[in-house]
Amino acid sequence: MLNIMFLKDLYRRYYFSNSNSISVPSGIEKHEFGYMHFDYTMVRHISFSNRGELIARLVKETPLDVFCSNASYKFPTNSLESKGWEGADLIFDLDLKDLNMTCTLEHSYYVCNQCSACYKNFVTICSICSERNISCNSIPCSKCINALRDETKQLIELLKVDFGISDKNIEVYFSGNAGFHVHVIDSPFNDLDPIARSEIVDYLAGNGLLPESIGVRKSKNDFHIKFPKSGITFGWRKRITADLRINPLTISKFAKIVESVGGYDKFKEELARRAQDLGVLVDPQVTRDIHRVFRLAGTINGKSSLIKVKSMDLETFKPFESACVLEDDPVYVRSKIVLKLSLKGKYFKIKNSIERLPAYAAAYLISMRLADIVR
Amino acid sequence: MSIKLGHADLAKYPFLDEASVYIRETRFTIDELDRPEMDHIVNRAVNMLETEVSFGKVYSSLEKYEVEILRFLVSLLIVKSLDLEPITKKHSLFEAIRAEKFLTDDLVREKSIQKKKLLLHKIFQDLFKIEIDVSSDTNLLRLGISDYLIRATKMNEQEWKLINRSVNSGYVYLDPDEAVRLIRSELSNMIYERIKNMKINVMPSKIKICAMNLRKKFSLHTAYRNQSLVSEYPPCIKHAIQLMNKGENLPHSARLMLATYMLALGKKIDEIVSMFQNAPDYNEKITRYQVEHLAGKKGSRIIYSVPSCKKLLTEDLCFATTECKNIINPVQFGRNNGINL
Repeated sequence: MLNIMFLKDLYRRYYFSNSNSISVPSGIEKHEFGYMHFDYTMVRHISFSNRGELIARLVKETPLDVFCSNASYKFPTNSLESKGWEGADLIFDLDLKDLNMTCTLEHSYYVCNQCSACYKNFVTICSICSERNISCNSIPCSKCINALRDETKQLIELLKVDFGISDKNIEVYFSGNAGFHVHVIDSPFNDLDPIARSEIVDYLAGNGLLPESIGVRKSKNDFHIKFPKSGITFGWRKRITADLRINPLTISKFAKIVESVGGYDKFKEELARRAQDLGVLVDPQVTRDIHRVFRLAGTINGKSSLIKVKSMDLETFKPFESACVLEDDPVYVRSKIVLKLSLKGKYFKIKNSIERLPAYAAAYLISMRLADIVR
Repeated sequence: MSIKLGHADLAKYPFLDEASVYIRETRFTIDELDRPEMDHIVNRAVNMLETEVSFGKVYSSLEKYEVEILRFLVSLLIVKSLDLEPITKKHSLFEAIRAEKFLTDDLVREKSIQKKKLLLHKIFQDLFKIEIDVSSDTNLLRLGISDYLIRATKMNEQEWKLINRSVNSGYVYLDPDEAVRLIRSELSNMIYERIKNMKINVMPSKIKICAMNLRKKFSLHTAYRNQSLVSEYPPCIKHAIQLMNKGENLPHSARLMLATYMLALGKKIDEIVSMFQNAPDYNEKITRYQVEHLAGKKGSRIIYSVPSCKKLLTEDLCFATTECKNIINPVQFGRNNGINL
């Protein structure tokens, strides 16, 4: 309870004093908003006619998390069937856990969902209360952030080169926890249905590439090479043929490559592997969903007490500095575990004891359930 | 655009507004169809419908525009008068495929880039609001990714997946036949709507007689053969049969599901082939080959299994109900209800 009171006070002061950090979508009145209280009850299907109304509600309610739809609706407060969908921005979610980083174990902590006991090493059962419901919380390291940054850069490149989306229509955000969100705003893709959006995800991920599309055709003698009339100079055709180091003048070399992997069927498998290596891992459910509510930029992520923040320059973007916006008045916490932490450009070595920390660092550890406030 | 469509083009594309304008300008009225000199046009329309319905083939012959523009109108009038849903769907689709062939030929053979652009503009942009352009050096057509996806996601073949296309700067580059294939369904729907929305106070007697004769001939093709009680089937199969009943054009994946399911039930090839008779593009020979292929009697000799529920879900063919609980393949449906499959 003390933890919640501490966080709620901090959040309220943030929403009261830093409302300029919150970015609202254009045509705010057409979007559905939702928020989650500290007791995890969810409020959805609400709308605000202007920014002031939204901020007033955030200060009054001080929710744990705040969400806004990527879709515009005629009637955003109606039930899903009668909202009157008018289009939705295309959004991509790149999550650290999908990148399977080898360093994850080094900075992961296991928290019992019953008694909140914390463990450095993986456990299946809590040694204190025998609970089997254990969560894994990870504090991303710089390697993790750089990997996310690279994946995001690759996504942006594909969106720009293949999909023709200009820089001004692409917004990149740190989610406030362990992922990046890429928003494509006001594009010709806003009207697409979930199936068409899934097709875009497949494209980005490199799923479903046929050997025929780069000229390997099944035939009586297993295969023959004939490049498509529409060429191999664009899109995945270009990407894969460059990876295989072939071009329209090297047909015999190409045939040898296909033979060397074992013919048409084996080449098809090889192609799928290469395409997935070159593709971008985005969460397919998130992009497909045209009625989803997303964390609102500038609001606090209840899992970390960091805000969802926009990256102005991905190359130099430091999410754990930009997203850390809560106060720095010192408070005392009882840490449950030994760990290292870097926030707002400061480095913290946390011991398994009572620690005096700036409020933002205390809030981060409490939200990650790795410490408790001490009064 | 400085050049205009010629009358010869209207013979191939008689659904364009220019064809309606031509009819208005000639002050033609439909009661004139009862005149003997119109017999050739009426007979041509009848032949066309017979070719489509009885033989499952596209009527490919082309006459001069004066004939074709009226032939198009007469075909619609006969279909309207027949008032048989499967025939209306079938004719709309075949008329669309016919235009598709002419348009592909024109886009491949026409030398004037301006003329190509005009044709594309008239058909893609004016009718379906699709912005499309043609490259003068490669003869490739390009359209926006969004316009492409809206249509290509209705196709089930993997070659239509965006990843298998030439994609650059927001555009998809297609061969003329591929681009034209994309609009088949919309063109078919447009013709279907025209038939449905036709308001004819007094149908010419010649049209009524033709329709009466064709109704007798077509009765075999329009009566749905109900092989089994639909209620026994899983909802996915039931849904596909119901669509087939209405003369809807089932996607390839739904036809594969239906045929493999019926084969798994032990139905005879003849029985399964006849189930597809209501499909607008039904061709007995092709359907038989495909069903035999799935049964492992032709081609690769592989016996195809019924797609899993998971696969059907991804293809938007799953209509699961509570009775589907715990099954992973449609063939398992009803096993607990005392139905032996």
